[in-house]
Order: sequence, then structure tokens, then C-alpha cells
Amino acid sequence: MSGRSIESLVLALALAAAVIFAVFVNGFASWQNVSNLAQNSASLTILSCGMAVVIITRGLDLSQIAVMVAASTAFGILLTGGYGVPAALAVALVAAVMLGVVNGWLVAYFEIPSLLATLATAMLITGGSRWAILQGEFLVLLPKDNPFIAEISSGRILGVPLSVAVAVAILAVTGILLSQTIVGRTVYAMGDNIGAARLSGLPVRAVTLVAYVFAALTALIAGLIVASSSGAVDFRTVTNGTLLFEVIMVVVLGGVSLRGGRGSVLSIIAGVFLIAVLRNGMTLMNLSTQAQGLVLGMTLITAIVIDNYRNPRDPETETQGDL
Amino acid sequence: MTLLKKTSALLGATVMTALVALGAGSAAHADDRLKGKRVIFVPIAMGISLTEGWSRRMAEQAELFGIEYEVRDAAFDMKAMSELFASAINDKPDIIVAHNPTVQLLARQIKKAEESGIKVMQINLSSVQNSTAFVGADWNRIGREIAEDIVKQCGEGSGKSGKVAIVPGQLTAADSVLMNDAAFEVFKGHPEIEVVSNQASDWEPEKARQITSTVLQQHPDLCAVFGHWGVHTIGAGNAVKDAGKQDDVLVYATGGGNRLICDNIEQGVIDRYWSYNADGQGRDAATMMRVILQGAAPKEGEMLRVDSPLIVITEENYSPSLCWDMPS
Repeated sequence: MSGRSIESLVLALALAAAVIFAVFVNGFASWQNVSNLAQNSASLTILSCGMAVVIITRGLDLSQIAVMVAASTAFGILLTGGYGVPAALAVALVAAVMLGVVNGWLVAYFEIPSLLATLATAMLITGGSRWAILQGEFLVLLPKDNPFIAEISSGRILGVPLSVAVAVAILAVTGILLSQTIVGRTVYAMGDNIGAARLSGLPVRAVTLVAYVFAALTALIAGLIVASSSGAVDFRTVTNGTLLFEVIMVVVLGGVSLRGGRGSVLSIIAGVFLIAVLRNGMTLMNLSTQAQGLVLGMTLITAIVIDNYRNPRDPETETQGDL
Repeated sequence: MTLLKKTSALLGATVMTALVALGAGSAAHADDRLKGKRVIFVPIAMGISLTEGWSRRMAEQAELFGIEYEVRDAAFDMKAMSELFASAINDKPDIIVAHNPTVQLLARQIKKAEESGIKVMQINLSSVQNSTAFVGADWNRIGREIAEDIVKQCGEGSGKSGKVAIVPGQLTAADSVLMNDAAFEVFKGHPEIEVVSNQASDWEPEKARQITSTVLQQHPDLCAVFGHWGVHTIGAGNAVKDAGKQDDVLVYATGGGNRLICDNIEQGVIDRYWSYNADGQGRDAATMMRVILQGAAPKEGEMLRVDSPLIVITEENYSPSLCWDMPS
């Protein structure tokens, strides 16, 4: 099954699920629900863009949600501490970029497997942020009456919710990055065979840094959207939440192979579309969180099995840069 | 009043009498008797106002009376919590203070601890397993009172739809189980009340926001949201606010009355808040700890019990003095 056909299959499944929900679930087939579904999926879409780029290099960023929460915590703390939005944003941006650089540096220059490197940084970021910034607390509340926060959570551009517009923009940037730039071509080459990419003189280390910084930037943007909408930054999203699991699920489900070198923006759109439709439909059906987890877990297992079938282990490259 | 309630009230009165007697008695006597005793607190997680508030009060009293006091933080990790509780049993303290994440998780271990002579004081969230004492909110009462208020605001004669969305933390958590049971018991007598959603948020504000925004568009005439805990209900309240339905949908929540959450009542994110005052609970827990260390014990098959007084904070009666601050 080719990359494009798996994306088509997932899109077809999502459409089928949408049609079934539209027929049987009250309230699913309405513009208001479509808008709501898109808004609730915006942060997942943005995070998936960053994760997809890293996974295509045959990496994995387990620290993405920790970066998201840490950067939005820095933003929230500064904002509630009386600093202006530009200063708070600048600090959060610098923090996110630095964390991305650390991840990329560990993977590219120390050649630590991405799974271990980002797991370690996730733990460091979470523990360090709680200890140094929050002094043990788990929660930062954001002032919803702040015009910037209010604009992110309920602002619109040409009638489109701001969070959705931002998600579409990030999808476009990801598409351009992957398909129109040297960085993008190097990303795919690294995922296909990192040894060959290195031998052919491609800037493998620099591109690894770019991939992890890009993932950190998407984490920052998603974090600002989540925090502004819910009015809180909650560290349990890292320690207990399922968001990281959902991001990986979306990316793999859409056809981005965990073995690297495969996938595109269409893969992300297909994955997000299916997960968003399933989640929205199940919420409208008043299914319990546990039942929803069961369905999504089964979906992920199916995706991994299909991924394994489509991309069997290559004996020539299996020891090079595996997760 | 049922026999259980009468017994609870009697035990409560007995404990409170003992507390008064303690307060009036000589601290020097208590010092001698309690010095060197050991208490281990196993919370679901530190870093939240509830547990920090309780622990602060217990630590204060422990220091005053020479009691060795230790916290073993599970940091929201249920597996770690079970292991920490097991290690606490192995260390044979005089009291283990248990903060049960679910009604089942620590049940066997609480039984084992009590059988080996360690007194277990359960705080705010109870297990299905009885132990020496319980200090905390009466979740049945809170669930019933909120449901009765919902009936009043959304039921017959209110001109409202009667539609209610419940946003529990976890369906197996003690507070969610007890509040839902009590609420559904009330709603049973009011067929005009329709619970259109009852989905757990895993205590996360963002999940609560997403559930509420989805339910709101399915039921634009929703009358009330009943969030089981103030922290995650902030997300639900913000979904209501962002949908421009602040004047139409009542948002109910419960919690320990910390300033952070109270600010959200002032801002209209939460409309009605049943506060059990975590700072006061901490003081009650510290006193109960001393009472147990002096030998107080329940009758066979019962628990010493202190139910926390409740304050209902609304937009109308809101005052900063109704909330408490954690000293920095």
C-alpha cells in the first residue's frame, strides 16, 4: 500500500465515520459542531506538524508536551506577574527554542537515541519547571480578561476561529518546509537512510536541530492556544495526560512511518480528521472517557500494524538511527 | 435521620468533645505522650492547594508536639501511590494518612495496615475499606445539595430546559462516585431534569473545556454544568464564557476554597461553588491525628469521622474573605 493510498484510506474512514455520526448522532451535522470540532483539534494539529517533521527524520520527540507546558507556564507566570504580552511571549519563545536546541543537540551531536534523549529532557523540563518556576505547584491560571488571551481563545479572522486559522497556517508552513526546501529534502533523506544522507554530505546535524526546534515552536504555539482557551496551564497534561499519545497516534495513523522517511502534511490532515471526528462523535454520544480511550487505543494499534505491514524492517538500515 | 447518620453525628460529637478537651488541656502532657510518634502522609500529589493546605497544618502540629511527620508524594502516579503506601506500611508508623485516588486502589492495603496495628486516617476521599478515621467533605451532602439547587434553577417552573451536563474528575474517584449517586437520586424524583452528558475530564481543565464546548453546541439550551472539582471546572466555565452563554448556563463546582479558584468565581467563570475549606480540613486532620495518637479508636466496624463544614460561594455573596491563601 503506497503512502498516498493509506492517507486516502484514513480520509475515507474519517468521512465514513462522519457520515455515520451525522445520521445517527444528534447535533453532529451542524456548522456549529464543525467549527467546534475544528477549534478543539487546532492544538492537536499544530503539535502533530512538529512531531511529524521529527518522526520523518526517524526521530521522536517525547518532550513536546513538556515543552508546550513549560513554555506556556513561563508565559502565564510573566503575564500574571505584571509583565506585558511582548515580554512574556519573548521569554516563552526563547525558552521553547532553547529546549528544542537541547533536544536536537543531544540527538545530532551526542547521537543519543531520540527516544531516550527526549524522555530525559521531558523529565528534566517537567521537574525543573515545577521546582524552579512553580515551586511545587501543578497549575497556573491565566487572566482570561487579558485582551491577548481573549483574542486567542475567541478571536476570529474572516469568520474563522483564530486557533483554526493558526493551525491552517502551521500546516501550510509544514507543507512548504517538507516539500519546497532543502531542509525538507534532507529530512526525508535522513529518514530513508541516515548513513547514506551523511555520506552524501547532507547537513544532517543542522537539520536535526531544525526539526527539534520546529517541534518546540509548534509546542509553544499549541500551548498558548490550550492555555488561553481553558484559562489554565496544567502540568498533569505532561505527567498524566494522553495528549502525547494522541499526537503520535494522529501522525502514525495518517501515514507518517515511525521508521522515518514517509509522510506529508496530507498524512497529518488525514490523522487529525479521523481522530477529531471519532472524539467529537463519541463525546456527543456521551460515551465514557474510558470507552473513548478504548476505541482510540484500538485505532492506534491498527495504525501501527498497518505501518509495520507497509514499511517492513529494512535489514540494511535497521541499526541506523532507530528510535 | 438514618442510623448511619445518627452514628456519624454521635461519633463526630465525641471527636469534637475530645478536641475541645485537648485544646483546654495541658500541651506539656500532650508533648510527652506524642513525642517520637510517627505519621506518614501519602497524597495523590503535592503541589495542589488541597494537599499543600492539609500538609501545612499537619506539619505545624507535628512539629509542635514532637511527632515525626513525613510526606510521600505519589505525584499523580497511581502505581507509585500503591508502592509508596506499601513502603509506608513496612516502615510501621503510628498513622498513615491516605488520600485515596479511587475507592478501590488502596482498599486492601488500608485493611493490611489496620490489621498490622497502623491507624489509617483517610482524608477527603474515602476508600470502600473502613479504617480508624475519616476527615473530609461529605460528598453525599454536596452532591445532594447541588442537585437540589439545579432542580430549583433548571426544573419545573424555572422556564429552563432542565438539561444538565455533569463533568466528573474520574468516574471511579470517591468524590465523583458519591456526588453522582446523590445527584442522580435527587434527579430521579424530577423527570424534567435531563442529564445530557456525564463524561470524566481526568481532572484536566482542557478536557473539561472540550467536553463542555461540544455538549453546548449539541444542547444550546443547556441549563447547568456540574463540575466535580473547581480546577477542571475552570475549563468547563471558560467554554461557557467563550460561547457567550454566561447568563444562560449555571456552572457549579466544589473545592477547597483556595484563592486561585475563588478568583474564577469573582470573574463569573464559576457561578456556584461548594467550598469545604482545605485549610480548615488541614486543621481538623491535624487534630484528628493527635486524637488518634492519644488512643482514640472507633467502635468495631465504624470510623471516627469529621465532616468538613461547607460554605456555598456564589457571585452574590462572594467576598475575598471566604477564600484562603497559601502562605508563600
